[in-house]
Amino acid sequence: MFESANIHHTMANQSKEVLYGLYDDEQVLLQAVHKAKADHLDIMDVYTPFPVHGLDEAMGLSESRLHQVGFIFGAIGALTAFLFMTWVFTRDWPIIFGGKPYWSIPAFIPITFELTVLFSAIGMVVAYYTVCGLAPGVTNPTLDDRITDDKFCLAFQTNGASQQEIDKLKSFLSASGAEEINAKII
Amino acid sequence: MNQYQIDGKLKTVLLGMMGLGLLCLILTFAYDDALHTRFWSNYLHNAVFFTGIGFVSLFVMAAFTTAWAGWYTVVKRVFEAYSLFLIPGLILMLVVIVGMWGGLHHLYHWADDKAVAADPILQGKSSFLNKNWYTFGTLIIMGIWIFFANKLRTLSVEEDMSGTPDYNHHKRMRIWAAAFLPIGGFTSAAIVWQWVMSVDAHWYSTLYAWYATVSWFVSALALIILTIAYLKSKGYLEEVTVEHLHDLGKYLFAFSVFWAYLWFSQYMLIWYANIGEETVYFRERIDNYPVLFYGNLLLNFVLPFLILMRNDTKRKYGTLIFVSLVVLFGHWFDFFQMIKPGVLHTAHEALAHGAEEGAHHGHASAPIGFLIPGLLEIGTMLGFLGGFLYFVLNRLSKAALVPKNDPYLEESLHHHT
Amino acid sequence: MSAAVSPIREPLIQGSKTYHQITEDICSPTERTPSMTWIIAFMVASAGLALYVFCLAWTIWVGIGSWNLNRTIGWGWDITNFVWWIGIGHAGTLISAILLLFRQRWRTGVNRAAEAMTIFAVMCAGQFPLIHMGRLWLGFFIFPYPNTRGPLWVNFNSPLLWDVFAISTYFTVSLLFWYTGLVPDLATVRDRAKGLRRKIYNYMSFGWTGAAKHWQRFESLSLVLAGLSTPLVLSVHTIVSFDFATSVIPGWHTTIFPPYFVAGAIFSGFAMVQTLMVMTRKVLNLEQYVTLEHIESMNKVILLTGTIVGVAYLTELFVAWYSGYIYEQFAFYNRVMGPYWWSYVGMMSCNLLSPQIFWFKKIRRSVFWTFVMSIFVNIGMWFERFVIIGTTLARDYLPSSWSYYVPSWVEIGLFVGTLGLFFTLYLIFSRVAPVVAVAEVKQILKVAGDQYTGPNAHKAHHAKGAGVHH
Repeated sequence: MFESANIHHTMANQSKEVLYGLYDDEQVLLQAVHKAKADHLDIMDVYTPFPVHGLDEAMGLSESRLHQVGFIFGAIGALTAFLFMTWVFTRDWPIIFGGKPYWSIPAFIPITFELTVLFSAIGMVVAYYTVCGLAPGVTNPTLDDRITDDKFCLAFQTNGASQQEIDKLKSFLSASGAEEINAKII
Repeated sequence: MNQYQIDGKLKTVLLGMMGLGLLCLILTFAYDDALHTRFWSNYLHNAVFFTGIGFVSLFVMAAFTTAWAGWYTVVKRVFEAYSLFLIPGLILMLVVIVGMWGGLHHLYHWADDKAVAADPILQGKSSFLNKNWYTFGTLIIMGIWIFFANKLRTLSVEEDMSGTPDYNHHKRMRIWAAAFLPIGGFTSAAIVWQWVMSVDAHWYSTLYAWYATVSWFVSALALIILTIAYLKSKGYLEEVTVEHLHDLGKYLFAFSVFWAYLWFSQYMLIWYANIGEETVYFRERIDNYPVLFYGNLLLNFVLPFLILMRNDTKRKYGTLIFVSLVVLFGHWFDFFQMIKPGVLHTAHEALAHGAEEGAHHGHASAPIGFLIPGLLEIGTMLGFLGGFLYFVLNRLSKAALVPKNDPYLEESLHHHT
Repeated sequence: MSAAVSPIREPLIQGSKTYHQITEDICSPTERTPSMTWIIAFMVASAGLALYVFCLAWTIWVGIGSWNLNRTIGWGWDITNFVWWIGIGHAGTLISAILLLFRQRWRTGVNRAAEAMTIFAVMCAGQFPLIHMGRLWLGFFIFPYPNTRGPLWVNFNSPLLWDVFAISTYFTVSLLFWYTGLVPDLATVRDRAKGLRRKIYNYMSFGWTGAAKHWQRFESLSLVLAGLSTPLVLSVHTIVSFDFATSVIPGWHTTIFPPYFVAGAIFSGFAMVQTLMVMTRKVLNLEQYVTLEHIESMNKVILLTGTIVGVAYLTELFVAWYSGYIYEQFAFYNRVMGPYWWSYVGMMSCNLLSPQIFWFKKIRRSVFWTFVMSIFVNIGMWFERFVIIGTTLARDYLPSSWSYYVPSWVEIGLFVGTLGLFFTLYLIFSRVAPVVAVAEVKQILKVAGDQYTGPNAHKAHHAKGAGVHH
């Protein structure tokens, strides 16, 4: 959590100049993203109020690997639970219950299952917030308050860009259907 | 190609399979013990397995209709055709009934009057476990199932011909489907108790009926996936995409896990409480039928779980066909495991009785055909499978492969997971 | 999600909403001063909570002797309440996880509130096993930690310990699932707020920006968590049922218990969701988001699970007879005809018989009957647990120890008190966070809004001469 806050801090120091367009409809935005990709424009990011189907493919984002994290943590949880119970009941403090053998696999299944799920879920959620740089108290700069309401935002970074390049981006945004075009330093 | 036609080659293959099955049945009958135990238990096993696939297809179709499932419309006709197998299924079960009245087989301990006279537990159950109930229960319950299967099929085919913009047919189907759910839920339990659980006439388990029904469901799913894969390979069902396949694969995965859950619940509770009357069921299987006991778990849980856990295996024909073959065989194997040990035990007792030897049916290992499925069992299964597919594909060719005026057709055609 | 929508599906969002209106309608209740209804409800609920604290203190001070448990009946209202609450706590995860996997769109209207309810219900449930252990301050003994007693580990073979793991895992995972879904919506509230309020919501929304990559990971996470929660939710009530079913007590030891308990849990959970949603949609003016269509769908689930539970009841009765085992037969005779016959009648009539009125569409879509039935089912499911626990224990193997039990005022107070705890938490939640998932509702607007689908949309299309394209 500290790390991500630090990363954010250094980024804020660099201060980004951003040119962005706000769209009213996710389909218009999606077409704009496709067009920007076709025109080889370098998109900084796209911000939306809800997940837009097909946006990750349009932007060329690689598939999320969170489920692999889940699998690994789940496997660790399963092993931890099963091996620990095995150790307790065969080595450390064997107990006879109901005339069963010390190493009673069926009786270990429920806890093994629960810890698999617990480890997997916690591991994935922690990984998710860490890689996204989200945590309690983190303040990430936002471009517009309406992005979490009803605006779909396509943003370009313009640090060091010439006026000509900025004009080109502006005309791209307005041609692709942006309702508002703004610049902001974050 | 929305109209399916069985081609000549397939017809030959299926007829060949049926011929093989018949041959195997005859051979089994010829080289059998005095009670023809192996022959009759093979017959019962396959009749119950394939009839159950018919029932569960009807039940699932009713559930999908009630739950407003849109995605499966393009494969709905396959479910419909499967549900119609209940009609030949009834004939298959009638043979068991006739055999019982004629004293031709000794599948059920409780059907033997002499055994019941000497057995207070069976006497206690005799108002449920008796030939009359078995006969009329089967006739009435399967009659109801067949009625519903026909009703849903008729409405569905009529919708093709004369569907209206207010989806009148579909609305009527929805009512029949909803009505069938509780009826199917209650009656299937009664049927499973009579057909399968009463093979071990002393033993009981409240979960058993649900366990057996889920086993049927997974088999039906696997066979449906295989049918669809076959139809697609012949150029039919172009509308079925990898997305539909993915959904079917998810069902196969989820219900394999659910089956394992029920297996574990039943096994663990009996193991834990350690009551002799109950544990005898698993004790017998673990000690004398280890291949059945452990193979069941391997085929029906471990393999499908490991293979289908990944996303991409559910979207490829190769892996999905492989898993479907495994679990189809696996659940056939599961029913083998449910039926055979009990039947053999009953037969041993009856034979010992007949020979006036007393009860010394020691613990010689069970013969092939009981201990594990032998070649004759595999051949018999192929015969029944051939018959099942012959009937089902024939039904499939009687109507359009993709229903025409179904209200969910568009959703199903544009389905994305 | 497919863009094609069947013409026979009813719209799930009414009033031709825009994205902005959705934000406005759902977030504004958290921004207004509370209404009179809310204040009165909150006062009543906190009074219940106060009663809970009092009875809890009394139990700790006087000891478990202040309850009417006796040597024969060692589990009474305490465990009945525990199972009842944990059952209620199943609906949220079911709605958010299983219905997500089954792609039932109507879940978006109710999932957020149902998940919150789940968490509060599990909190209430968790109280009872802890209190009934007697010495509450030694409650941490249930966790396996290196200790100076050997170390003497807990008994991992005991279903009661499985419960500890199941319930704490369930609580944790539900909380993570719920809060992760809530983060984008809290950001929406943040971006509408000013001053201190903005600071607070900024803290709670973790710095959410709505970036595409975050959404992609968010969706991936939600899907995998749903996939994990589905077997988890099944396992929790399964393990609760193991508390009973692993024993050798007739009436408890029966293999159908795991799936039957799960069905019963879903049944009672949905009833509680109905109780809450019928009130919430009215008080917060959310009738256009939690529509009659939502209510009807949930009533269908209640009818279905009620009937499954009914199949299980009859299976148990039948197999008790079929078993030929006299103790098993007596246990069920005792349930129906014994001293607690009235709780069996209550269970059967509330759980199996009365939900059958939901076969009528009119009643499924009636808010009044929905509310009445939801209360009925809540009562019936409480009776079910009492039938299983109280009735069975009252008549054990030894007739000399047969006994009868009525709760003391402390036990009643604890039960009523947890209702206070539950409603207090829910009322606070309804003030602090959006009770309907804002982002998810926006996501389905174009396939489920009434300007896009359903009879109104078709009429509108016709009027414009655009024709129906489906």
